[in-house]
Amino acid sequence: MKAFETFHPIVLFSFFVATIGLSMIFMHPVYLTITIFSAISLNIALRRQLFFKDWKLYVPLFFLMAIINPMISHNGQLVLLYVNGNAITVEAILYGIAIATMIVAIMLWFSCYNVMMTSDKFIYLFGKVSPALSLTLSISLRLVPRFKHQLTQIVQAQKVIGMDFTTGSLWHRIKCTVRILSILITWALDNAIDTADSMKARGYGVKKRTAFSIFIFERRDGFVLAMIILLFFSNLVASFIGTTTYYFYPTFGAVKWDMTSILFYISYVILLSIPLVFEIWGALKWRSLKSTM
Amino acid sequence: MAIVKIDNVSFTYPNEAIPILKNINLTIQQGEFIVLIGQSGCGKSTLLRHFKRELRPHGTVTGNIFYKDYDLEKLNAEVAATDIGYVFQNPDNQIVTDKVWHELAFGLESLGVDSPIIRRKVAEMANFFGIEKWFHQKTTELSGGQKQLLNLASIMVMQPKLLLLDEPTSQLDPIAALEFIQTLHRLNKELGITIILIEHRLEEVLPLADRVLIMDEGSILFDGPPKEILNSLPADHAMITALPAATKIFHLLNGIGPIPLTIREGQRWLSNQPYNCSSLHTPHTTTQNKSDVVLEAKDIAFRYEKKGRDIVHHFNLQVKGQEFLTIIGGNGTGKSTVLSILSGLQKPYHGKIFLFSKALKSYSSKQLYQQYLTILPQNPKSLFVQKTVLLELNDMAQLHKVTEAKIQETVQLFNLTHLLNRHPYDLSGGEQQKLALAKLLLIEPKILLLDEPTKGLDAHSKEGLAEILKDLQTKGTTIIMVTHDIEFSAQYSDRCALFFDGSIVSEDEPRAFYSGNNFYTTAAHRISRDILSNAITCEDVVTLCKKTFV
Repeated sequence: MKAFETFHPIVLFSFFVATIGLSMIFMHPVYLTITIFSAISLNIALRRQLFFKDWKLYVPLFFLMAIINPMISHNGQLVLLYVNGNAITVEAILYGIAIATMIVAIMLWFSCYNVMMTSDKFIYLFGKVSPALSLTLSISLRLVPRFKHQLTQIVQAQKVIGMDFTTGSLWHRIKCTVRILSILITWALDNAIDTADSMKARGYGVKKRTAFSIFIFERRDGFVLAMIILLFFSNLVASFIGTTTYYFYPTFGAVKWDMTSILFYISYVILLSIPLVFEIWGALKWRSLKSTM
Repeated sequence: MAIVKIDNVSFTYPNEAIPILKNINLTIQQGEFIVLIGQSGCGKSTLLRHFKRELRPHGTVTGNIFYKDYDLEKLNAEVAATDIGYVFQNPDNQIVTDKVWHELAFGLESLGVDSPIIRRKVAEMANFFGIEKWFHQKTTELSGGQKQLLNLASIMVMQPKLLLLDEPTSQLDPIAALEFIQTLHRLNKELGITIILIEHRLEEVLPLADRVLIMDEGSILFDGPPKEILNSLPADHAMITALPAATKIFHLLNGIGPIPLTIREGQRWLSNQPYNCSSLHTPHTTTQNKSDVVLEAKDIAFRYEKKGRDIVHHFNLQVKGQEFLTIIGGNGTGKSTVLSILSGLQKPYHGKIFLFSKALKSYSSKQLYQQYLTILPQNPKSLFVQKTVLLELNDMAQLHKVTEAKIQETVQLFNLTHLLNRHPYDLSGGEQQKLALAKLLLIEPKILLLDEPTKGLDAHSKEGLAEILKDLQTKGTTIIMVTHDIEFSAQYSDRCALFFDGSIVSEDEPRAFYSGNNFYTTAAHRISRDILSNAITCEDVVTLCKKTFV
């Protein structure tokens, strides 16, 4: 049961634009902590098994980036040791970790985006901007799997008549590949004649196209969208007055814990946990509905 | 009320001397279900395309076409698009978008209809066609039958008055085809849609038709109800072979009275005849002298993904030299997979295949495909690279150092002489198949594997294919064919095997095989089952009946 996914595409899209945008500019330790924790929890809620598989990629990536920075940046006052006469500083190490956290968090946000913003939602959003572009996208998305299917057929057929592109000399392989691609293109163009006829037969080009969608903008969509926009701007204000600013060099700045800062931190937490709240709320509601059934 | 009127229409393709349509006159009444038949190349598709203005072929036309008393040429573009719907042969090519719901809305979107109205009409049609279950799916994930139903539904959304269909079921398996035809019947009966249908499956379609049009060389040879079809068709006309089994038997036995079209009518008619053949048995056709086993599969198991289920398991098969074996079975059960395993294109994870008593694995792929076996792909287009038929054959000859004499011989055998300078894509389905086969057979393989070669072929092309296969067999080729086509399998093969749930569940020579089956059998057997114990083709029925009569 994925509760947040059922919201209108514009809500989902604005959430990800706001979140990924802010995650990319905030280097403040409090903000980074919030970002990475909410990104991880949403990922677990949405992708479960897949998320634990992905760790194999994220952990080395995290360490790689954390190590690279102190190797190339020698700023900072807290020197740990010297390598080849270059200082390795605590500031540089922590800055490296901060960057690594940010990049991993953004990757996590994008994997959530992929789960929620399926192709049809994306196409729908662009249909609002340009119906022609959204139709082109839709047609392309249909063609890719078709070409793949035809390609396997052609490769097998050509293998039987001795044009196997996986064996033989380099020249032979090139010849086979060119041949296979040539067949694929001819075949695809031939099919495209039918597709064009089918479009024409259904009135394509008769009038200005409208873009139909199965998505309905409900009241709750308006409510959540307003919330996202409001929180996004409050975070922009925070950034403007300097709450989100933090310096690693020449040495660490101080993290502020006054009332205004705490309020701004909270507004960031609320923004980032919107989908998670709906996930949890949806799951609980479902359970209580089931128990009363 | 006449919905379409065709007034003395002739049509000639550019650079052709002879017109493909000759002085056609036709009036179609609202609500009629019309089946248009004829041999390939007779102009039936060209005629059908004339009813749809957007799809009219280029060329010179004379005469007039009227839609509801308006000149079709001057009809408002919106009316022309919505009122007349067209379904093509290939289910894949006419799907435009990636999602089922989007495809349904495509036509209305083009006409600039507002979302709430589209929503209602799409919902209505999804309901009528039972599409709700796969409404949110991607179009590439659908089966062939679902795709064609989707194509029909996405036209019905526009509320057409006239539906034109050009061999819509030719790429479908028999069960999906039947479902599609029944849906058409429903549209005609429940919504009163006028339908003009080009179709090869006359067994299912003729009993539903109000009116049949038979075309022959550009003109209409017969125009009338299906029950009168035999009265005006010359006794030796090529279309006779395409008729339903009941009608064919009736014709061959010179029956009198109302013509039977369905199995039931055929049974009734036959039981009222003076033939009493219950005691008669045809002798079992002696199985061929047992030559050596050329291909053997032992305990094969195969799956596509590590965690997937077995597509093939416990699969055992022995194929003897010079044998013609057909493997029949349901759609999507893995018959094609079996062929690709036998041909070495897919590797089983368990079991062994022996080719001439040597493990298939021990052959190099060059050796295997140049000397021993070849496989005809389902779509011949995956083989064509050249601009003309002749170049296509030369291309293959060059690859495998085949002599000029062999090319000539193959051209003769396949009767391709008149097509040598044509582009492979311009050939009809049957001709493309022939070319693909000719190309593969230049290297004289000992074993030929065929994947549904009769798909989309009309009765005449099927006969042509059978002749070629029989010829190859006498020259020493072993043939293994996977098919849905029970009639073809019964008539021409030496042995039939039923593939079910991953393995061969029964096999026998066709007569024993098909007379033992209740449902999975030929129309002729179903008609004659009560009085003849083992007749499986129309010819069998006729020979047996004539025997008792004498």
